[in-house]
Amino acid sequence: MKLKFLIIFTVAANMFLAGCGYDNFDAPELTLSGRVVYQGNTVSVRNNGPQLELWQDGFPLRSVINVFMNQDGTFSAKLFAGQYKLVRRADAPWLQQATDTIRVNLTANTNLDVPVTPYFTITGESFQKSGDNIIAKLVVNKVVQTANLEFVRLYLGKSILTDHVQYDVRVGANLSNVVLGQQIEIPSGALPDNLKSLDYVYARLGVKSTSAGEYYYTQVQKIALK
Amino acid sequence: MKKIYIAFALFIGLTMNSCKHDDWFYRESKNIISDEQLWNDPNLITSLLANYYNRLPSLHGVFNTGGMTEIDDAMWSGTRDQNGRNDFQYGSDYGRYWDYGLIRDLNLSLDNINTLGVKLTPAQKSLFIGEIRFIRAFVYFEMVKRMGGVPLVTKQMIYDFSGDPTPLQIPRAKESEVYDFIYKELEEIKADLAANNLIKTRANRYTALALESRAMLYAASIAKYNSLMAAPISTPGGEVGIPASMATDYYNKSLTASKEIIAGPYALYNENADKGANFYDMLNKKPVSEVIFAKDFALGTKVHRFTYDNIVKSMTEDNEASSAISPSLSLVESFNYLDGSEGTLKDKDANGNYITYTNPADIFANKDARLFGTVIYPGTSFKNSPVRMQAGVAVYNNGSYQLTTSAVLGANYSDGQTWTGFDGPKDDAVDVSNTGFYIRKMVSDASAASTRGTSAVNWWPWFRLGEIYLNAAEAAFELGRPEGLGYVNSVRARAGFPANSISVLTNDIIRNERRVELAFEDHRYFDLKRWRIAHIVWDGTETDPNAVVMGLYSYRVVRPGHPDNGKYIYARVRPTRFRRARFFRMTNYYSSIAQDVLNNNPKIVRNPFQ
Repeated sequence: MKLKFLIIFTVAANMFLAGCGYDNFDAPELTLSGRVVYQGNTVSVRNNGPQLELWQDGFPLRSVINVFMNQDGTFSAKLFAGQYKLVRRADAPWLQQATDTIRVNLTANTNLDVPVTPYFTITGESFQKSGDNIIAKLVVNKVVQTANLEFVRLYLGKSILTDHVQYDVRVGANLSNVVLGQQIEIPSGALPDNLKSLDYVYARLGVKSTSAGEYYYTQVQKIALK
Repeated sequence: MKKIYIAFALFIGLTMNSCKHDDWFYRESKNIISDEQLWNDPNLITSLLANYYNRLPSLHGVFNTGGMTEIDDAMWSGTRDQNGRNDFQYGSDYGRYWDYGLIRDLNLSLDNINTLGVKLTPAQKSLFIGEIRFIRAFVYFEMVKRMGGVPLVTKQMIYDFSGDPTPLQIPRAKESEVYDFIYKELEEIKADLAANNLIKTRANRYTALALESRAMLYAASIAKYNSLMAAPISTPGGEVGIPASMATDYYNKSLTASKEIIAGPYALYNENADKGANFYDMLNKKPVSEVIFAKDFALGTKVHRFTYDNIVKSMTEDNEASSAISPSLSLVESFNYLDGSEGTLKDKDANGNYITYTNPADIFANKDARLFGTVIYPGTSFKNSPVRMQAGVAVYNNGSYQLTTSAVLGANYSDGQTWTGFDGPKDDAVDVSNTGFYIRKMVSDASAASTRGTSAVNWWPWFRLGEIYLNAAEAAFELGRPEGLGYVNSVRARAGFPANSISVLTNDIIRNERRVELAFEDHRYFDLKRWRIAHIVWDGTETDPNAVVMGLYSYRVVRPGHPDNGKYIYARVRPTRFRRARFFRMTNYYSSIAQDVLNNNPKIVRNPFQ
């Protein structure tokens, strides 16, 4: 009796299990990773901000594959092997190149540098602590000749996610003092009480063009206060 | 043997019907209404129109409690599962509206009433056609203000099964062309709609003019302020963006329509000597003088639950959720003082010390009476009973106040007096104000209005005269004409300001007037959009009091032996449940177009930033 039950049970279980093969798909296994670069330097962005888009032709319905970016300008996506088109969309600190797609032929794990053209860049940034004050030194460069400067800002924050949305101190440079291509200074002023007592703060610089909705950022730097 | 009889009987029965009168088979159906019947019966057409009127679209309107808590006027303080309203950024599809199902229904109705409605009198026919065209213009206006230019479809489209769908693929019209279409339609039908002039819930001549006034103002301000942006939002084909040169014409059209309404049979509602109560009554009592076009509700047939959702916690007559909308401090402070000064509340003096007030409501004294009509603040009353709002007590200790709140609402402090009031405010709590304010506007004070069994029946105002005055003021101001000042001053006089309280009009005054007069009436999101300042006001910055919904908590001072004992102080707080500052990005000026729409029609141009 028990044997019969076991046989029936095993056969039934096998039949049910076998059914799974038909309606399950393999998960995508290939990784497309990379970073957004300008002249070899990674362009860092706002956390939860700009995105890239992937599209794939050859199917009756097209739908976008959003590629989210880390704030340091890197990204990665799990994909099936195939031909993809990568689009640099607007709502970013770089020029929209919606029709100028990058073709990606994905056959193995791929690392890709996506070149972009930011409106402005910041180079040679450094941060110095003097007393309660943090002084940022930087050079603002214009890349797109038609662009106009809107803000050059220093952000200080308690967390490594520091940007225009999440910060504790924000200081803007006086635009009339900003000479493109030459070093300028932005002093933070005396740190507020909630930052003063910390062991370290995170600092970041951002520059925004009037043509863009997003800032071009420098990489976040950790500044020891003690 | 028996079977033979049965077979015989069946045979007789089956053959008996085969007589000549086969019109028996052609009787009118008892349960299907044919197109011919529908379009020749005014009663049936009216009930079809009721369906269309009920489908008029809005974003944060028609008592959409959730939508009202997604901008800077309020935060969500209802159930936790909807706390996403306090913790989101506007997606690129926020406000997407692409309702060609409704457009098709309307176009089909227009085709059918023209071809089939032979028994209607010409007056009936032109009235119905006018109403359907009004609804269609309204829907196109809702689409253009959210999506930019959309395909203008004015006839029903029929597929010919030829295998070629291109005749059905209509490209997007220019943004200005959609506004021009709305204007042309309304101009053509407004005379036909005059028969409805005494009806508030159907389109009449003044409703058409009111839509004209609003739509033309939107077109004009987009034309003007988009061009003033550092990088105007536009597409090469004009699907998005209106040339600056068209602004003056649109402002003129808006002003003309507004003036015609103001000269019409309406008056600003001003029946109650108490200006604050008067402003509340204006949207609670169904006043025919002020409201031009309303969505009506009636007990037993069609009700709404705005009062159930939002009534003051201790006054709810139901046993579940209440108090979902917590108005923001920035809204409260946008109501100016009656002497004309800025509305910033005086909670601390120049040295940073708390200012004490004898009564909880004293800090709100001498403010614009519309504050009372819009918001419930500490020390005021609702339904003739005082609200019990107090966040906690402030105990004076070693030279500073320690602010403490009780764990339960309505508890007493050790001195035997109220600690935290029954109505909060309480931080991080559900179904009680999280900002220190409740909404009064449009929350009905009728008996049992806050029960789900009865619910509320006050009107949703689609258009009212207060808005038309402000439309006229803005259009006149932009055109450099002097009469704008009078319109703003009339609206302010109704709110308790002295006559001619403003002598020089500015953009900021007009914009602030719109915020306070039309709060929670589905205007602010679109107003900030058309002035192209939404990305500046809602810049996503966590420390910006405009982008963050802040609260103001009242505390009773416990300082025995000191003159301040028993008085009240106020503290600005950021409610814990408000998680993320409002963040409006460039892409939000025009909602993205759905991918399936783009897939189906390759002629559709994407919106900028999409």
